[in-house]
Amino acid sequence: MFNQNNFYSSALAKLQSINYPLLGLIIALFFVGLAALYSISNGDFNSWPLKHSQRFILGLIIFFIVIFFDLRLIFGYAYVIFFLSIISLVIIPFFGIESNGATRWINIAGISLQPSEFVKYTLILALAKYFHSINNDSSFIKTLIIPLIITIVPVMLVIIQPDLGTALIILLGGISLFWISGLNYKYFIVGVFSILCSLPVLWQYLKDYQKDRVLTFFNPERDPLGNGYHIMQSKIALGSGGIFGKGYMEGTQSHLNFLPEMQTDFIFTMLGEEFGFIGTLLLLLIYAALIMISIRLALKSRSLFSKYLSLGVCNVFFIYVFVNIGMVTGLLPVVGVPLPFISYGGSSMLAVMFGFGLLMNCYINRNIIIEKTNY
Amino acid sequence: MKKSGKFIFQKYDTENLINRRAALVTIAKAGVFSVLVGRLAYLQIAENTNYKKLSDKNRITHRFLEPERGIIFDLQGRPMAINKQKYEIIIIKEETRDVEKSLVSLKSLLPHASIDIEKILKEVNSRKKFIPVGIIDDLTWEDFSKINVNIHKLEGIYPQIGFKRYYTQGESHSHLIGYVSPISKNEEESNPLSKLSTAKAGKIGVEKAKDAILRGKLGNKNIEVNASGREIRELDRVNSVQGNYIQLTIDSELQKFCYERLKGLSGSVSVINVKNGEFYALASSPSYDPNIFSKSISNETWKNLLSDKYKPLINKSISNQYPPGSTIKPFVALAALESGVSHKETFFCDGKHLIEDTSLESGYKTFHCWKKEGHGNVDMTKAIKVSCDVYFYQIARRIGINKIAEVCKRYGLGEKVFKSLYEEKSGVVPNKQWKLENLGSRWMVGDTLSAGIGQGYFLTTSAQLSLALAQLINDGMRLSPKLIYDNETVNIYNERIIADPGYLKIIKNALDEATNAPGGTSYRSRILGKYKMAGKTGTSQVRAISIKEREEGLIKNKDLPWEKRDHGLFIGYGPTIDPKYAVSVIIEHGGSGSGSAAPIASDIFKYLFEKKLNLKRNEIFNV
Repeated sequence: MFNQNNFYSSALAKLQSINYPLLGLIIALFFVGLAALYSISNGDFNSWPLKHSQRFILGLIIFFIVIFFDLRLIFGYAYVIFFLSIISLVIIPFFGIESNGATRWINIAGISLQPSEFVKYTLILALAKYFHSINNDSSFIKTLIIPLIITIVPVMLVIIQPDLGTALIILLGGISLFWISGLNYKYFIVGVFSILCSLPVLWQYLKDYQKDRVLTFFNPERDPLGNGYHIMQSKIALGSGGIFGKGYMEGTQSHLNFLPEMQTDFIFTMLGEEFGFIGTLLLLLIYAALIMISIRLALKSRSLFSKYLSLGVCNVFFIYVFVNIGMVTGLLPVVGVPLPFISYGGSSMLAVMFGFGLLMNCYINRNIIIEKTNY
Repeated sequence: MKKSGKFIFQKYDTENLINRRAALVTIAKAGVFSVLVGRLAYLQIAENTNYKKLSDKNRITHRFLEPERGIIFDLQGRPMAINKQKYEIIIIKEETRDVEKSLVSLKSLLPHASIDIEKILKEVNSRKKFIPVGIIDDLTWEDFSKINVNIHKLEGIYPQIGFKRYYTQGESHSHLIGYVSPISKNEEESNPLSKLSTAKAGKIGVEKAKDAILRGKLGNKNIEVNASGREIRELDRVNSVQGNYIQLTIDSELQKFCYERLKGLSGSVSVINVKNGEFYALASSPSYDPNIFSKSISNETWKNLLSDKYKPLINKSISNQYPPGSTIKPFVALAALESGVSHKETFFCDGKHLIEDTSLESGYKTFHCWKKEGHGNVDMTKAIKVSCDVYFYQIARRIGINKIAEVCKRYGLGEKVFKSLYEEKSGVVPNKQWKLENLGSRWMVGDTLSAGIGQGYFLTTSAQLSLALAQLINDGMRLSPKLIYDNETVNIYNERIIADPGYLKIIKNALDEATNAPGGTSYRSRILGKYKMAGKTGTSQVRAISIKEREEGLIKNKDLPWEKRDHGLFIGYGPTIDPKYAVSVIIEHGGSGSGSAAPIASDIFKYLFEKKLNLKRNEIFNV
């Protein structure tokens, strides 16, 4: 009885201490996505919009479950969670579902999941725990090599799927934590320099279609009906939207199917066509506000683990938004990254809700101090 | 904690360091967002007009609309060439990423259809990329709907409804009306319809002669299409304009009768109104079904048509030239009268006529009359009646080739009858100058003699002969030959081409005798009854008869191979009192004019007299 009461009161307390502006913005983004999918499905709520809503509700449940866990428990099981997600990546080549020449999905209880989406956040979790426990005077191997290995393992597993885009996001998310944790900036300079030098070598290992995408990115007219087609059509859709857009459900590029993958990767383009610059600017502002609030909340935490975790989640989220919009506006190569909360896609939705659940948990438990462990 | 010995981490207090780093990251994020906003502003504001155009170009497609071809009517207003709806499939190179792939998927969808991928690829690549190229011309409704259902799999391929030409009269009119088929390379520039590869142009006959009038004007429309090219809605359109109607002077019933009468023979019939020059029939046999050309015709069918020895593709009434033979005699007689020869003057015919020829051993060249034993004393009337060759040898020799040629030309021989029909031949009326220019040799007396009986270099067409006779019978008044009613050729001549109307009486009388008096060459084909016909037979040789053969006895026509037999000709008019029609009949290798051509002419006149066809124009107006 007592315990139950205690549970309820602590649950209530947790609910009360949630940052509602952040949750409000998340819900706002969901509705933007819902509206977009409703338009794309030509007013048929029962197709994409319904499924999108179901996934969001499932995401919300995950969000709240993550919140109710004790932060110390999460800290304690961080490596385990990371390890499980790595396992799920490892088994993909054996049990995965192939589609479009890549094997990215596994089927769990009838639901197709993309483990690489979750790895983005579990890696952050693992690195946050690792950096939390590290001492300033730790050895070179401990402070740099081990976290690098932790990062490289999932990145490599995703590269072989092959899914270069997601792998790069995982890598960038991980590296961002290296930066946050205070690693000497000289290492970054050396790192960037050595990556630049090894690019020609890495190029050899890219698959043909990946090379094509990169080449097309630098010259979209190279193959206007092939790889350049998507990005060209996306730019046309955005550009023809103008300042005020063509009107809700009036986008010709999207409704006449010139726009590829518009319910997933190119959903931003579709919004830009129908709502114009005003619409895209507003959407960017929502994302900016969400990120600003996240940073503010992250910095309120007293433990390093919380800070690392929150900032890491925020960074991964930011990278997502940037890569997707950069891609559809022709600033980045087409790498197949969804727009969080808006794109149609179960794994991405659940993963991002899981990430924000962690972030909110850190905020709720911002005053908890976590002892350093022996890694 | 403040100072780290290994310098792996920055030398700051961890709390500060994280804040500092987070701040830097935040600034970087703000920077990146600014770039995104800038990029969006560039695309959506600065480049808006540009992309708007591209977006419109994407979704708006321009399509040409095929005009319906003008209908061809006969004299009575019966439609002879009409248009039927058909289902066709086209491909547009510009709107597909891979022409071959699209064609292969189409082929797998319609396995029984004959699609020559290589041929179509060649065609597609030789044309401008926005020009639609026809793949299947006329397909069933089932296949058509099958394509419509699977359209999303067939990039650049479109089913559409088009027109096909249909000839209601079938093969009896095919030479005259002609047919249509796809526009050829060399017609492309002059024909605005070539923007539409499915459009057809007239290839021969009236269809070709009046193609510019019949073809109409292209329409066009702008349609909104989706990415797979499917039409979503029409934005605007300019309708195509149907081609103008054309009415012919031909009476399709009469034409059909003439054609039926020629069945089994190779030859032609022309029927003309002697009062106004309107042609009521221009039949040619054998023929072909003009409707086979509305589908793409198979190579084999085409080759068979080309190699057929009876030449079914040739319009024998205007495109095949024959020596007129004895049918020229009334005109030679006219020339004689004009030269002062009295029709009462008699010549003696002993079956042959000799002329000096030093190149021969005997010093003479012999010209034979068709009747070996001769006709005895003949005057002009008898000469025409019995078709005495010796009489005309002597007359021709007396008046000279130039006089004969001048008179023949005056009546329209050696000149195209219809200026507009491309396939028409002009024939040859030879004279001294002609021989020098065309053969490079001097005119010989023998040439004059041959010309006097319509042999030698003389060549005419069936239409020419009927017009020549009509102009003579029309009191020697010039006629404007007419096949198509159009405003351009309203030429009413008031010109008498006969030197003396009195001559006409003599010739008419002679022709009447030839048909209606015993002993006349076409007596057996005479018509009993109120209305009669009169006319002249002709038998034109297609081979030289050797001296040896003459001595051994002439080989009868029926014993000769078909190609060596004589052509049978007949020209006639009727009724004999107040004539209305002139008819010419040519039966290729028919043996003789009296045996093959005259009976046909007789049947045609009987038909004309008995059926009392109301040969009056039932005017069709363009709507």
